[in-house]
Amino acid sequence: MPEGSASLQLAVGDRVVYPNQGVCRVSAIEMKEVAGQKLTFVTMRREEDGAVVMVPEGKVIAIGVRKVASAEDVEAIFTFLRSDSDKADLDWKQRARTNLDRMTQGGIMGLAEVVKGLQVLSELRPLPTKERELYDNARHLLVTEVAAALGTAEVNAEDAIDIVLFPPGRERPKRTAAEFQREDSDLDLDSDLLGLDSDLDLPSDEEPAEEEPAEEGEAAEEGEATEQAAPKKRGRPPKAKAEATEGGEPPAPKKRGRPPKPKPPEAEGAPPAAPKKRGRPPKPKPPEAEGAPPAAPKKRGRPPKVKPPADES
Amino acid sequence: MIRVVTLDPFDDKELAKFNRTLYTAFGVGSEHAGSVELPPGMSEPLDAEKLLDEVKGIRSYKDDKVLLLTSRKLKDRELPSGVAPTTGFARQGKDRAVLSIAPHKDLESAFKAISRHALHQLGHLWELHHCLDPRCSMYPPWTPSFIQGEAIFCTFCREKSEQKIRLGKS
Repeated sequence: MPEGSASLQLAVGDRVVYPNQGVCRVSAIEMKEVAGQKLTFVTMRREEDGAVVMVPEGKVIAIGVRKVASAEDVEAIFTFLRSDSDKADLDWKQRARTNLDRMTQGGIMGLAEVVKGLQVLSELRPLPTKERELYDNARHLLVTEVAAALGTAEVNAEDAIDIVLFPPGRERPKRTAAEFQREDSDLDLDSDLLGLDSDLDLPSDEEPAEEEPAEEGEAAEEGEATEQAAPKKRGRPPKAKAEATEGGEPPAPKKRGRPPKPKPPEAEGAPPAAPKKRGRPPKPKPPEAEGAPPAAPKKRGRPPKVKPPADES
Repeated sequence: MIRVVTLDPFDDKELAKFNRTLYTAFGVGSEHAGSVELPPGMSEPLDAEKLLDEVKGIRSYKDDKVLLLTSRKLKDRELPSGVAPTTGFARQGKDRAVLSIAPHKDLESAFKAISRHALHQLGHLWELHHCLDPRCSMYPPWTPSFIQGEAIFCTFCREKSEQKIRLGKS
């Protein structure tokens, strides 16, 4: 339910706020017949440009039409804007959804929350175009409503808001992403569920036992020793390493992906195979008759027309 | 069309340069449209709102924007949330704004800062609100960094002002 519209009694001449449209004045409340039904329509005229909207009386509250904020509400807005407690949501989807709700159903405080939230976010990074437009819309609606509530010019209302948001003689602070991290972001999910390897120092009895092959070489043992020094990771234990070669060379780091195909045994003394060319293999040439003249190079283009056989007569 | 009307004497060359800056920023013609007298009974510091209401003798067409230029100080405005330092004043979407070059003596001594203030007030006449970008001329003018910036708009404010100017012409 929109703020402050649980019981809205409208009369001609009242100033109301139509969500996302701005301050309107009720110009008429009249009965009309639409599709055989008699409905009471509230006609509102937007003060900014005189645009007219007619709303069935039963829908006025559902739409979110409300009375213009009072001077006390505006004072609460200034207090809220002055506070430094608001943190912007870094999740753009969540932010967009929340801001949409605030714009339509949040009342004047919702508008102030949108302005403050986006202003705080702009101290971290420039706003994207859509949010910049949203900021401008929210600011415009807030300024017009504050001006209507205080009975002052829009420029004075805007300056009153901005004196709070941008105090004279002070620059806006630069914010970091760390300031926007929510404290309740830790949902106590197991790292296995998140697919993360944690660096927890578990007691030795909780550590997964690693299967060590008895016949591992010296080099492998050295490598293992260094691994033991490092904090152990949870999850599947690493596979046993291949046995080191007799020469003592450490095994090459294992490459990921499909293993190479085994090469066919080559005959001793055979010349090394030419490096395989990439691309389409050449077409096999037709066997040529011995002694035949070499074929003329093939001409490109359309083949010549076959001449009709000349009449023998 | 932007019409610069002076309330005090200014150098013609400086005014021509000032008009060129306004023309570059908005893409509409700007000219010095003469001088007018200060309304009787007004003393320094001037009440900007009263001045805009009471000044007479300005000739302009419907879609013209008039910028009154003075070297006298304007009175700071008392607002519900505090005192607003006032170097200029313009009502949103209306046709008149006033700009004071005080505490500077002439346009030459602080040309960049005065031009930036002029863009700000004229921007309000084309219904621009204050901007979040410190480089934009629509940034709140009482911030310390405002006078150090160039007389330019950010992309958003420039596009919005161009749109408003187009709508005003059509």
